[in-house]
Amino acid sequence: MRAASHTPLSRLQQYLLLALLTLTALPHVLNMDSRISAFFFVLVVYRTLAVNKAALRPGRLLLFLITLGTVGIVLMRYPILFGREPGVALLIAMLALKLMEMRVRRDIHILVFIGYFTLITQFLYRDEAWLIFYAMILVVALTALLVESNRHAPSPTSYRSLGVAVSLLVQALPLMIVLFIFFPRFSSPLWSLGAETGQAVSGVSGTISPGSISRLSRSSEVAFRVDFKHEIPPPAQRYWRGPVFWSSDGKNWDTDDEGDLAGNDLISLGPAIEYEITLEPTPGNWLYALELPTRIPKDSELKSDYQLISKKPIKRRIRYHASSVLDHRTGRLSEKEQQKGLQLPPGVTARMLDLVAGWQQQSSSDAEIVIKALDYFRQQEFYYTLYPPILGDNPADQFLFQSRRGFCEHYATSFTLLMRIAGIPARVVGGYQGGQVNPLGDYLIVRQSDAHAWAEVWIEGKGWQRVDPTVAVAPERIEQSIDPTLMSDAIGAPIRFIEVNSGLLRAVIRQLQWGTDALSASWHRWVLGYSRERQLYLMQLLGIGFLQGPKLAYGMIGITGFCIIFLTLVLLYRVKERRDPVYATYLGFCRRLQRSGIVRMTHEGPGDFANRVIAERPDLQNRVARITGLYIGIRYGRQDTKLNRRRFRNLVRGFHP
Amino acid sequence: MKFRLLNSLRRIARPDSAGKTLIAPRSIYILPTGYGFLYAVLLLLMLLGSVNYANNLGFLLTFLLIGLGLVAMLHTWRNLVGLELESGRAAPVFAGDDAHFEIRLINRRRWSRPGIQIQIEGRSPIITDLRPAEAETLTLSAKSSCRGRLSLPRFTTSTRYPLGLFNAWVYVELDALCLVYPKPGKNMPEIPTPEYSHSQMGDRGVGADDFAGLRHYRPGDSPRHINWKALAREQGLQTKLFGGDRAERCWLNWYHLSGESEQRLSQLCRGVLDASSQDIEFGLKLPGHEFKPARGQQHRLECLSALALFGEPG
Repeated sequence: MRAASHTPLSRLQQYLLLALLTLTALPHVLNMDSRISAFFFVLVVYRTLAVNKAALRPGRLLLFLITLGTVGIVLMRYPILFGREPGVALLIAMLALKLMEMRVRRDIHILVFIGYFTLITQFLYRDEAWLIFYAMILVVALTALLVESNRHAPSPTSYRSLGVAVSLLVQALPLMIVLFIFFPRFSSPLWSLGAETGQAVSGVSGTISPGSISRLSRSSEVAFRVDFKHEIPPPAQRYWRGPVFWSSDGKNWDTDDEGDLAGNDLISLGPAIEYEITLEPTPGNWLYALELPTRIPKDSELKSDYQLISKKPIKRRIRYHASSVLDHRTGRLSEKEQQKGLQLPPGVTARMLDLVAGWQQQSSSDAEIVIKALDYFRQQEFYYTLYPPILGDNPADQFLFQSRRGFCEHYATSFTLLMRIAGIPARVVGGYQGGQVNPLGDYLIVRQSDAHAWAEVWIEGKGWQRVDPTVAVAPERIEQSIDPTLMSDAIGAPIRFIEVNSGLLRAVIRQLQWGTDALSASWHRWVLGYSRERQLYLMQLLGIGFLQGPKLAYGMIGITGFCIIFLTLVLLYRVKERRDPVYATYLGFCRRLQRSGIVRMTHEGPGDFANRVIAERPDLQNRVARITGLYIGIRYGRQDTKLNRRRFRNLVRGFHP
Repeated sequence: MKFRLLNSLRRIARPDSAGKTLIAPRSIYILPTGYGFLYAVLLLLMLLGSVNYANNLGFLLTFLLIGLGLVAMLHTWRNLVGLELESGRAAPVFAGDDAHFEIRLINRRRWSRPGIQIQIEGRSPIITDLRPAEAETLTLSAKSSCRGRLSLPRFTTSTRYPLGLFNAWVYVELDALCLVYPKPGKNMPEIPTPEYSHSQMGDRGVGADDFAGLRHYRPGDSPRHINWKALAREQGLQTKLFGGDRAERCWLNWYHLSGESEQRLSQLCRGVLDASSQDIEFGLKLPGHEFKPARGQQHRLECLSALALFGEPG
């Protein structure tokens, strides 16, 4: 152990350690049990005060008591020290204790290591871009502290060590990238992307009521992103199916969780479309898929009403593959389906019955009734709005005959209700419709503002058919996305859609948004969602698909080694300082003399050496004197000119004792 | 036997024909320090955690830190490569005292080499930060055990900069010698008949021993000889005259002593020291060599060297 490691910490070092490690722990501390956080802050503040007052430094007894207290507080909160939360709590407590106890330079190493470790635990909770940025800054600062502590004296300029740290980390970046790409990923878990987030998530849920989807639609948060294997289907075909609502109490519509409603065969009438979805955390278990899915991801199940349900809750960002057919026909209607699809909620009024009876008289088939109903929405004064007026006890009746202002869920639910009155099996489907294509990334972004609800009716001979009554009222909804930022929030205000040509500034802003979203999508795809499949795909893309399993590990080691050797050569090249050519020539002169038996001693200066040579070999007097004189003149005197250097070189070259 | 083999395999940096010792890349040894091992354990834990939670950000940070460790290893190594060492002077010492060897560390690079440490095994290390394109002289101390020439023992030049995770070191052997005088022994026996030589100046008031009277001050007189008391009594500037310089002279004679030769040398050394501190003119008689009585630093050093190298050829 070198003596320097026992040098006491300077005040600056203590302040820096306290500040940096507090910042390191801060994201945890702010989200922890308040007792542990308070304890942490008390210790840090106390230690900060103690920097200037040696008397406040905790002695052994106090440290022992504080340690006991810390362990006690952690144990009080987490009686079983097992798992992520207690582990982090213990880590933060240890960090605070070590800060209390730090005295000498050696402690810098330990504290910086704890700091690195604390930083990585942050990623168990969050994966936002700012956190990565924050962590990087702290890594640089902690490393700089380490660099500075390995000097003998403080560096002459205050940013010297910071520069060294940055340069070290920049040189480490290629290694990081190589290791990241090639490090074998052990499993291909469907649920392995990103971190679990503790935040409340928004999205389509298992219940819809008038106003629930319109509230969701005011948010421009991303719901999911889709990469299509081939072409992106047109907007009118982009119905992303989520929950299916069967039963209603007159106000809310709920999904049916009584289990399967017996089989329902799907007949494909067109080619299957393959795609990959990156789904943000959502409240339910629904995996969204184009209508209707045929191939489903692992760990999921397709219900007979074509709800695609994940077997695990979606608490973090996930990615899955699926394929769907847009053109299809479903099979026979089961008894249970018929019963469920026709049940009427309370609150059916005479006005409704009259309306439907009128259509039934004019039509000869169920399909005609459907058209009549859509015509009703189209011809009467119905408005499409994100801010519908609040409806009373019987929202369907009120909406159909009085307010006539509503969002998609109003139209879908009331349409379904009318169909059931007419004796046509019908259900409500929730999900998303549309999505924007990012021209910079060639993928589709589906936002919460694309949340949608539509209806399905069962028609003899065709099976379940999608009917979107919203189209009757606002056909542009299907072709364009809603732009929540442009919306006026007055009740009943008309909806503004995203326009294609709308001013230079907005176009620029939109372009920037596309750019940032494309960046964040590639970040999600290549960094947060880098999985075994992606690795395989990338290896094939690079033409080294044969690197698999253990070979991949060898490849990783090989490429890392190559990087290190390359860096070594670069560093060595920079080390090979041009050796003073004059000195090199003089060494040549000494070597020539050595060959003739006169060895220059370590302690001999050029002058002494020349004297000795002349004494031993008087015949060389002239040349030795001239060479030595020139050498001394060039190196130590003021005769360092080009001419003299050349003369010196020539003299030594022609010197053969 | 085993150790001898190890030693012969050991790479050692030695001076070239011009006396410069350049640390070559291949003479450098490098191993992780305790912190390095701790860091490795830490990284292993981080890697396991990242695998367990399949956390790609965790992987990124872990791999960045692994890269940092590897890069730090290269930089630790590079911090030594191309460093030049030169031995400087080593002032003579008495046997048993520490010999101080000057070591000149020359950094020819345009960037600094912080945290360079030199150390003789078993002694405390000496650390410095070498600035860009500058040289610094450090002093290594080694225990001298017996009189003669002490050569600078093999020492290590090492560094842990920048992160302290690795220790890179070189074994260096420089040609440096330090003259070691005999350890001063017990006092010389009383010299029975002091010999005197008469001052050539005679007793003419220009000596330094006996007060010989006063005279008026003349410019050029030493201020030390001004009679300040007389000046205080306002008797004018007067200069005190001294005379009677009588040089004491003695012989330090090997043959007057008894005992082993080392003991005799020690005693003679004591005699030289005493005589020169009392400013006595002395001569030294050794078997086969004799120094005529003289005074002064040069004479003293010559005599001490002769004692140090007594019995050595050349």
